[in-house]
Amino acid sequence: MNGQAILTAMLPEHMLLVGIVFLIILEIGGSRRGALALSVLMVGMAALFALMLHVTGYSAAPFAGHFSAGPASFLAKAVVLALTLPVLLMAHDDFGDDGPFYPLLLSSLYGFCLLMSADSFLTLFLGLEIMSIPVYVMVLLAFRRPESVEAALKYLVLGGAATAMFLMGVSLLYGGKGSLALSAFTAALGTTDTMATTAVVLVVVAFFLKAAIVPFHAWAPDAYEGASIPVTAFMATIIKAGVVLAALRLFGTAPVSPLTLDLLAILPLVSIVWGNLTAMRQTSFRRMIAYSSIAHAGYLFYAFLGAGPGRFQAVVFYLIAYALMNLLAFASIPPGKDDTARDNLDAMKGLFHRHPYAAVMIGMAMLSLAGIPPFPGFVAKFLIFKNVMAAGFTTYAVLGLVGSYLGIYFYLRVIQYMFMSAGEAAAPEPAPGRLAVYAGLICLVGTGVVAVLPGWVMSLL
Amino acid sequence: MGDAFLLNVVLYLPVAGMILLLAVPESKADTIRWFTFWVMVVQLALTAVLYAHFDPAAPGLQFETRAPWIPEWGVYYQIGVDGYNVLLVLLTAFLGPLVVAGAFTAITKDVKLFYSMVFLIQFAMLGTFVAQDLFVFYIFWETMLIPMFLLIGIWGGERRIYATLKFFLYTAFGSILMLAAVIYLVYSLQVSTGITTFAFADLYQARLPLPAQIVLLSAFGLSFAIKVPMVPLHTWLPDAHVEAPTAGSVILAGVLLKMGTYGFMKLGFPLFPDATHYFTPAIMTLAVISIVYGACLALVQNDIKKIIAYSSISHLGYVMLGLISLDLIGIQGAIIQMVSHGLTAAGLFLMVGMIYERCHTRELAAYGGLAKLLPVYSVFFMILTLASIGLPTTSGFTGEFLVLLGAFTAAWPLHAAGDSYPLIMAAAAVTGVVLGALYMLRFAQSFLFGVVKAPHLPLSDLDLREKLILAAIVAAVFALGLFPDEPMRKTEVAAKQYQQLVRTARLPGSAP
Repeated sequence: MNGQAILTAMLPEHMLLVGIVFLIILEIGGSRRGALALSVLMVGMAALFALMLHVTGYSAAPFAGHFSAGPASFLAKAVVLALTLPVLLMAHDDFGDDGPFYPLLLSSLYGFCLLMSADSFLTLFLGLEIMSIPVYVMVLLAFRRPESVEAALKYLVLGGAATAMFLMGVSLLYGGKGSLALSAFTAALGTTDTMATTAVVLVVVAFFLKAAIVPFHAWAPDAYEGASIPVTAFMATIIKAGVVLAALRLFGTAPVSPLTLDLLAILPLVSIVWGNLTAMRQTSFRRMIAYSSIAHAGYLFYAFLGAGPGRFQAVVFYLIAYALMNLLAFASIPPGKDDTARDNLDAMKGLFHRHPYAAVMIGMAMLSLAGIPPFPGFVAKFLIFKNVMAAGFTTYAVLGLVGSYLGIYFYLRVIQYMFMSAGEAAAPEPAPGRLAVYAGLICLVGTGVVAVLPGWVMSLL
Repeated sequence: MGDAFLLNVVLYLPVAGMILLLAVPESKADTIRWFTFWVMVVQLALTAVLYAHFDPAAPGLQFETRAPWIPEWGVYYQIGVDGYNVLLVLLTAFLGPLVVAGAFTAITKDVKLFYSMVFLIQFAMLGTFVAQDLFVFYIFWETMLIPMFLLIGIWGGERRIYATLKFFLYTAFGSILMLAAVIYLVYSLQVSTGITTFAFADLYQARLPLPAQIVLLSAFGLSFAIKVPMVPLHTWLPDAHVEAPTAGSVILAGVLLKMGTYGFMKLGFPLFPDATHYFTPAIMTLAVISIVYGACLALVQNDIKKIIAYSSISHLGYVMLGLISLDLIGIQGAIIQMVSHGLTAAGLFLMVGMIYERCHTRELAAYGGLAKLLPVYSVFFMILTLASIGLPTTSGFTGEFLVLLGAFTAAWPLHAAGDSYPLIMAAAAVTGVVLGALYMLRFAQSFLFGVVKAPHLPLSDLDLREKLILAAIVAAVFALGLFPDEPMRKTEVAAKQYQQLVRTARLPGSAP
């Protein structure tokens, strides 16, 4: 343990910690403003430091065996922290400039940063829990709606189940190897030993639960629907990214044994198909996005089929494209009379005539999520399926592509509602708030960069 | 360098137009219309310059741009003009201003979005034709769907949402299989040669085993055959055409359907020649079925848009027949037929749109004796009808005649060698000419002649704008009919390349 490394390698974490402490002080002091600006500042600084450390190629292990940070983890932190900025900006419409949302969000991010640097299951567990627990509370923040209590409870219980499975898996691993290091897991991946395989399966299932892979997805639609828009956006993008990136840290570049491989291929495939099929029937926008995110979690775990460094690149690129698109859509939804009215898909009818730019942005987001070129969702999907095919899983790749075809319809339906249906003559809703528009613009610029220069973005990863 | 710049200007002009349109307020509809029109005219002028400078003798790409785009995957932003696409690029640019002008009075709702989408589809279509890298091609190919989806879905007829979803989902299904095939093709090439490349020129060198070729050609072919469309994958077309606004139908019939045949010519057949030999009888049969069945269906329709829609299926069957005959004359005929159909079908759809704007019905039975009511309209209509039938001196004759000549030329030696199937197919295709005359003359007869009736009287004849649009198309139809040697010179090198690529077996021991 050395002080210099703790100071430097954990700079992003320190920034977040400072932010959390000051936010709490603000809250205690009863200030009604400044929380948003402070959060944006601290998250932005954290992202900036992570980026700088990545660029300089800094690498250190402040707590050897438990916590280390290298270029890859700094990159993941920088990307995800930067993607949180639009979430913060769009939160203003719902949460104003004070309240518990901001410290909770920063705490969750702190957990994520721990995950990205975890070297042992101890840190990994700490990170997972610190990341998840604030989100249970955040779902509850939309407490004006009765569903949100039920949703938060469901999320909490199933999250607890995931934790239990994870711990069970880890204890089996520890029983077999006597080590809590993550390398014990990668070693177990390659073996056919029953106990090791059971441990691997339990850990993988825990991640599937957190990432909402079928059949462990039941909590997601309720939680997404019950939460308010910024929280849904946060869960669908940042938390999903956190879980998948944590799994990536766990798997590393190690090849996977055939048994686990089937688990890694079949359940995501089922997720893609089931998520896309079920999304067709939804009448709530957030539920639809929940099923869409179930399908997208499927694509993300597909990327684990290929071994080697391509895995990291595919996952991170996909997450960037996917998060930008989701955030673009969420930021562009105009605020309705109340949160429930805003959520109904019918409310989107005729949106183009009321808010043309919002409709165009949501439309682009939907097409990108559907994987239609020229939007970045296509290149991201291409990258994943290319890796799957290169790893020799031609059948899975073709089935996954066909599964993704099933998703096109419900994304198109949103466009159909916005552009081709006449809206009811209800009172016109207010335009999206100024900060939400900025959030949308940030995502739009990001989308443009990824769409026009995918090669450049990939070379950075 | 200067040459490459010209092609990029032509390609990106619609995008620039689309962005500039954002600055024009929705209320200034006329400004939007005229701005779009003049941008399209400029594009046509530049394309004409490009066409004039196209060197027919030079093999390979002209006006080429090649820059790394996704270096890691070997994807290059590569565009260029060659004999394959030069006529189609010209056709696309030619129809652009006509589509815009044709929609001046028809489109009054969401004008800005409409012309933005026309710009976007123009960009995507040109991009698809000039792309020389499979990845870039696929992006343009799919991008085309988005504006078409909106064009049909927003400005279409009563069942527009059904029609547009059917169109999108039908074509997207083909595309997703093609995507799988693209990935597989590039990856297997990477395994065998160690190079990751998407460039058409490199992919032509691929030597895949026959089973792989068969699967890949099926995937590519399904996607292209849906676009053409070939029977039995044609069912989206009548719906899309009937529900689409005039501009949508014109773009669809004029250019979009050629994407399918162009895809076969540029990618499907040359990439997988051994599988093409394997499938030749099947493709030939489907082409002839499309010709005859499309014509038969056109014969019994009562919706005038449907007649032209089904006639498109029949006409594009000739293109497929010409391409698969592998006879030089037939291939060149196929290219001419693509352009010719683009002109006549676009013209006929524009004319249907004009009468629909006046009478608001497409029922054939509602009309009669229009020759007395609308003399100028009737003259133009008759010319386009005869061009569609393939009367000599019109473009339709050049295309169909050359295709049939090619089909017989290719079939005869095979017949002498004991395989009469191609000859039978060629003979069956000739019946399409007769059927074509039958349905078009039936259409014209009950439409223009007989008892005078129209759902909406009095009718005003064509105004100057409409006359100019149709005059441009008719002039092009005669130009292609009377002087086909000039465009054929431009495509000859490419036709020979195509013939060479498809005839040469890639695998040892699988020569035809």
